Amino acid sequence: MIELKEVSRVYDLDATPVHALRGIDLKVMSGEYIAIMGTSGSGKSTLMHILGCLDRPSSGKYSLNGEQVQNYSQDELAAIRNKTIGFVFQQFNLLPRMTALDNVMLPLIYARGSVRASKEEQLPRAQNALRLVGLGDRMNHRPNQLSGGQQQRVSIARALVNNPKILLADEPTGALDSQTSKEIMTLLEELFTQGITVILVTHDNDIASYARRVVRLKDGVIISDSLNNR
Amino acid sequence: MSVWELVVLAWQGIVANRMRSSLTVLGIVIGIAAVIALLAIGYGAKLESERQIQALGLNLIFIRPGAQSAGHVSMGMGSSVGLTMSDVEAIREVCPAVAEVAPGYDSTQQVQFAGQNTSTNISGTVPEYTTIRNFHPESGRFITQQDMDHSTRVCVLGQTVVDNLFAPGENPVGKKVLIRGEFFDIVGVMERKGVTAFRDMDDQIFVPLSTAYNRIFGFNSVKGKTVQYILVQAKSEEETLPAQFQITNLLRLRHHIHSPNPDDFYLRTQKDLLQTSEAMSSVFTLLLGSTAGISLLVGGIGIMNIMLVSVTERTREIGIRKAVGASHRDILMQFVVEATVLSLTGGIVGILLGIGSSYAINYFTSWKTEVTPLSVIMSFTVSILVGLFFGIYPARQASKLDPIVALRAE
Repeated sequence: MIELKEVSRVYDLDATPVHALRGIDLKVMSGEYIAIMGTSGSGKSTLMHILGCLDRPSSGKYSLNGEQVQNYSQDELAAIRNKTIGFVFQQFNLLPRMTALDNVMLPLIYARGSVRASKEEQLPRAQNALRLVGLGDRMNHRPNQLSGGQQQRVSIARALVNNPKILLADEPTGALDSQTSKEIMTLLEELFTQGITVILVTHDNDIASYARRVVRLKDGVIISDSLNNR
Repeated sequence: MSVWELVVLAWQGIVANRMRSSLTVLGIVIGIAAVIALLAIGYGAKLESERQIQALGLNLIFIRPGAQSAGHVSMGMGSSVGLTMSDVEAIREVCPAVAEVAPGYDSTQQVQFAGQNTSTNISGTVPEYTTIRNFHPESGRFITQQDMDHSTRVCVLGQTVVDNLFAPGENPVGKKVLIRGEFFDIVGVMERKGVTAFRDMDDQIFVPLSTAYNRIFGFNSVKGKTVQYILVQAKSEEETLPAQFQITNLLRLRHHIHSPNPDDFYLRTQKDLLQTSEAMSSVFTLLLGSTAGISLLVGGIGIMNIMLVSVTERTREIGIRKAVGASHRDILMQFVVEATVLSLTGGIVGILLGIGSSYAINYFTSWKTEVTPLSVIMSFTVSILVGLFFGIYPARQASKLDPIVALRAE
């Protein structure tokens, strides 16, 4: 499903090239639960950006669902993100002026072509997504009226609303206390059992232990790729 | 996203920042309101002056004596023999396009009634005056041919003179006033005409021209009976030009003026006045238009400024929208539509304010105002265009943001 071949990413900062990724080869099958680990500066954020189609590799090939996306334009990548990938961020990244429901509606509004839900479908779909994460009674609250855990649930609902194949979670519990973290991880576990591919980016061993497979990065190369002993 | 979704989105953004949005559109509001109100004043003034001119009929011609010239030396205005009663008779008899002719001679004189004293214009005139000027007596009668033939000492008063000499409610008809030491019977009072562009039509006393020569002004036997002006009514509006041509030729012949010497009299028609008035109002409109253009430019720059601030402030929002799938065009449209809705809101408020102030001006001052539908449509369109034009640059800045960079912004 996901296949990276010899992927490199070089940033040209002040004429001194910085090699964030050096020749990454990675295969992720559909329905996997994988954690990408590494310290800061290891390249895991860059890898996540490329996997999430927010960024393009400087060289190498990226095949996603059989599509070669490494040379896609920004707008083509935006369409891929919209229909294939759901993002969950450490800082939730909800729009503060909008209600939970409006935030969840966003990916539906930007959907194009055949994946676009009709007007009548959009609202029930967003409501369903919120119910799924246990926020059926908080739909019209704004982010500042919700707790951290609830905000993260809203952002998971937003990630799921377009029925993506992949959920990309970047330190999803980084801003939460341990109890709430557990709840969120349980929710991700549930989604995994429903067949969604979950990719977790973290530096936290406890969080990574939820995943079935762990890939470790250091200085832009994969140093280990192993199955978790659960 | 559909345009309607974008407009709703833009409206949410504007309402979320009420104070800032209102201050931003203030420039547009004031600009548009000023355009609407000023154009309403301009158009009202134009209509009023046209109404005054047309009330007299477009077939009216004024003739005044001009300058006599010897060789190439002009002797100045009024130096010619001028216009005489025989010119008047000739015009009446010779020119086929002419319907009515009314010569006149005006002079300011002291007038007395029962201890009241006023100085006013004594206008020596003829019975045709009322038809030509469309100015009729309200009570009593005007001067008749009989008055002319017998040089009777009768007079007709204007309303201002009545106000000055008589107590309110007193009927002047049948009484006598003293004009230059002679008693005149008041036979009529004119209707109220008001102030035209040139003079107070009500501040005058009409007497028969023949009586005026005999009793008030005197006349010079060398030049004959001179007149100060001749009012001519052509048979119709279409006959005005032929009448002008016939009169010019006739008077040049009678005054022995040969080519290339210029006329020693002036001819002016109501049409000329109308054209002058139209030219003036188009200059006025042009000035207003450029003022409006400048104010809208300033307003538009205000919008661009605030949109640029808004893009910077909302970098993270743009990043989030891009992450969940917004395209370049989606973001571009969002900000362009927001600028346009902002500007259009200002435009609509400005239009309402402009219409309101036009009515207020109409109500509280003597100016007649008339809001033209064209100025409303124009303002509406211009405020949309201002938003589009000044919104595009900030929107492009927003749409070009890299989603990763935008997501990292605080």
